[in-house]
Amino acid sequence: MTGSAIFLQQIINGVSLGAVYALLALGFTLVYGILELINFAHFSVFMVGAFVALVVLEAFGLQGQSVVMHGAPLVLVLLVALVVTMVASGALGVAIERYTLRPMRNVKGPMAMITTIGVSYILFNLVLLATNAQAINFPDPMPQASYHVGGVVIRLKEILIWIVSAVLMIGLNLFVKRTKLGKAMRAVAQDAEAARMMGVDVDNVVMIAFFAGSALAGAAGMIFGLYYNFAQYSIGYTAGLRAFTAAVLGGIGNVPGAMLGGIVIGLIETLGSQYIAARWADVIIFSILIGTLVFRPAGLLGMLAPNRS
Amino acid sequence: MKRLANLPPRTKRILFSVLLAFLLVFPFLDTGQANIDIAANCAAYAALALGLNIVVGFTGLLDLGYAAFFAIGAYAYGILNSYQLHPAWSNGWAPLAAIGFVAKLGAGAAATVHFTFPFWVMLPVSAVIAAGFGVAFGAPTLRLKGDYLAIVTLGFGEIVPIVVRNWSSLTNGAEGLNGVAPPSVFGHSFGIDSTPYYYVGLGIVLLLLFISQRLKPSRIGRAWMAIREDEIAAGAMGIHTTRLKLLAFAMGAGFAGLTGTFYIAKLQTATPDMFDLPVSIMVLVMIVLGGLGSVWGAIIGAVLLQLLQAWFLPELSAMVQALGNAVHSPFLSNLELTSASELIFGIILVTMMLYRRDGIVPASRNEVRLSFAQQDAAVSRGSLPAVERLSRASAQAAAAGAPAALAVRDLTVKFGGLTALKSVSLDVPAGGIVAVIGPNGSGKSTLFNSITGLVTPSGGSIDFAGHELIGQRPDQILRYGVARTFQNIRLFPNLTVMENVLIGQHTHLKAGPAGIVLGLGGVRAEEREAREFVLELLAMFGNRLIPRIDQGVAQLSYANRRRVEIARALATRPRLLMLDEPTAGMNPAESLELAEQIAGFRDLGLTVLLVEHKLDVVTRLADNVIVLDYGEKLAEGPADVVRRDEAVIEAYIGRGAVNA
Repeated sequence: MTGSAIFLQQIINGVSLGAVYALLALGFTLVYGILELINFAHFSVFMVGAFVALVVLEAFGLQGQSVVMHGAPLVLVLLVALVVTMVASGALGVAIERYTLRPMRNVKGPMAMITTIGVSYILFNLVLLATNAQAINFPDPMPQASYHVGGVVIRLKEILIWIVSAVLMIGLNLFVKRTKLGKAMRAVAQDAEAARMMGVDVDNVVMIAFFAGSALAGAAGMIFGLYYNFAQYSIGYTAGLRAFTAAVLGGIGNVPGAMLGGIVIGLIETLGSQYIAARWADVIIFSILIGTLVFRPAGLLGMLAPNRS
Repeated sequence: MKRLANLPPRTKRILFSVLLAFLLVFPFLDTGQANIDIAANCAAYAALALGLNIVVGFTGLLDLGYAAFFAIGAYAYGILNSYQLHPAWSNGWAPLAAIGFVAKLGAGAAATVHFTFPFWVMLPVSAVIAAGFGVAFGAPTLRLKGDYLAIVTLGFGEIVPIVVRNWSSLTNGAEGLNGVAPPSVFGHSFGIDSTPYYYVGLGIVLLLLFISQRLKPSRIGRAWMAIREDEIAAGAMGIHTTRLKLLAFAMGAGFAGLTGTFYIAKLQTATPDMFDLPVSIMVLVMIVLGGLGSVWGAIIGAVLLQLLQAWFLPELSAMVQALGNAVHSPFLSNLELTSASELIFGIILVTMMLYRRDGIVPASRNEVRLSFAQQDAAVSRGSLPAVERLSRASAQAAAAGAPAALAVRDLTVKFGGLTALKSVSLDVPAGGIVAVIGPNGSGKSTLFNSITGLVTPSGGSIDFAGHELIGQRPDQILRYGVARTFQNIRLFPNLTVMENVLIGQHTHLKAGPAGIVLGLGGVRAEEREAREFVLELLAMFGNRLIPRIDQGVAQLSYANRRRVEIARALATRPRLLMLDEPTAGMNPAESLELAEQIAGFRDLGLTVLLVEHKLDVVTRLADNVIVLDYGEKLAEGPADVVRRDEAVIEAYIGRGAVNA
């Protein structure tokens, strides 16, 4: 491969990875925008989502890479798996909010954040114990088709990831911008008290935000599994922290910012691994996180968070 | 456990002595090396928990990268007392060799340096190194909001082990440091016997316990708790919040660094995974279990969790497995409960947060119950001249500096597209009382926030006694002698009346950490005097607050909370007192009583600027009234003139009120 082909190839890999981070970052951003809460449980919802997708795909009789499907059946199976995963993850997010975070809503200080750490730890360790800490082979029914474009290989899988991510992100954007609930959500993000007085059911809005964010995290989990062909208890932590970095980089609370941040972090990870060293990739990403927070806390596209003093 | 915290001091001392005696003879009870080793580990984690308690419990900063400082302290000793580094020998090393910090290995050109920095030297040195890293990590990040800080510390907590893994020449990478020398006393090495480590660990815990106990009820401890309770109010009371947060961060890091050296000397090896995120989380679980901000809670939480992991779960596993073998259940015989410890941590975190946020040893005292006599007592009026110190302070300040006059010129404040204040000018002459009135949203509170540095105006100037206030931090503005209360009352809710008003004196007290820990005479005298001043100030309100002095302010009535806030502002010994709706929530009699007291402040030499809705209070007090409407000055003049102003009636008072 030539130098420029390697570069382009890493761009493609970076965008695919970035799509996962962007989907995950949206969940952080939605919740932070409304509750001003960093939701560490989101890490584990993503990981659980990957396992839900794995179970659903295996329920279709797909084991590892042995079964390859084509055409309509493939699309149908993937679609069913995606929907089930998103609904299950969304429900998990809603349950977490309802039973562990709502009671903490008006408690000041780091208490709510500590609770999300606890929830994340519980999910993390449940899966760890259930899987014996092993990486589990993720079913991959997609044909190994790929397209060669100017020395660069684009796999069918990648195209699918891009399409699904783009659809979900555009869908969320439309939901937030165009629907009544989306408007209520933005109103709560600006000023929950005023929104309540205008008749917005704040609890409902928070629930929707958790559902949407967690459903997207589940989708990201499934995409991650399909892309890397494995699922493991620990994937939530690394991916979650990078996605959080993406949300901060884009401007936390800002939906397009999370998407942009995700892609940028994905690119930094693949290009950094290619041209610097994989073992330093995390250091680079965390340095970006810290640097953004210190020098440009509003991120690339500006922060949209409640202004509470 | 809550009752335990409320025992009389004498009983507590006896209990502590009994506990200490038991701990001192524990190794001689012959329970075996393994138990002593567990106890020594308990000590290490208790020390760690005490450090994190300062950061999270006292100051309210969620630090998720705490283990990084543990690692730094551990590797500092590990590298400086092992064979990891072996630079070529040169005579420059001779002075260090002479005091035994390095040794020469081999001879001639092949000779190398062997680092042998003594454990006892490295204990404090590691604390200082880790504290230095704490300052380096904290300085750029501590001005971030609390939740961002958590994520930044998480980032640092990740970076440090990665650096340790990748910087093999210094740390031996993922394999870890080997052959770290054990401590020795007079040439006798501790070796692998657990008992001496146990005593060193116990000593460390006692030292850190002592430091924590001394700091908590001091000027510094109160400032930390003020930041935890309400950072904006803390700044407005003159606390340099960034500096104090940095101090807490550095001190927590120092505790961790010291413990790291102890831990590594005991283990004689160090690997990067000993300091990963799970360690930070475990220490967090310890202090959450014990009770955030509770010194004994941190120790008890650490001991409980260590016992859970090192003793209870293995014992329970063994029992379950024996049972499984007996009933031929392969599931039970293979069950390894120790691997569920982190799951238990998660459950502890969530359960404590939902059902017992104060932990098993709550930090806040029980509320002092008022006697019937106290509750029944007729309200007595206090007197102002009792606040002698206050008038003396203002007289001194007046003699020393420019007159305490406030001049606001063309002040403009914009929030996005909204102009909250538009070219407002006003004067408060020294010794005068000026009132600002206006409908809700007219910019009164924005005016207050601009003067006290909470809002950055986009134009204009604010001059107080020769100082330009725009662009200054709130704590600096307070130092110039401008103190305020808040419209929505910003007391420190979990602190007592006494503590709240003491925090007002922050800038007038001088105690530093060393003086507080050593209990120097000057510090104690200063503290005693500060408490007397609080009593004087509260006496101003007769018997309304004095009997409730040790109650948490959250328990007080609304009017009493307003009084505490005024007392807190007065405790800063201000020259300009700014009161934002001081009589809100008070009945007419109480309002007039307070109005008289405010009028009395003038006699003490204070200048007063107040926002007030009750026009009778305004009329009674103010020399001059300024009316704001939609961010602009609508009228200005003596109260009775302003009351008749057509525009003011239109915008604010309402026609019905005047006609009636």
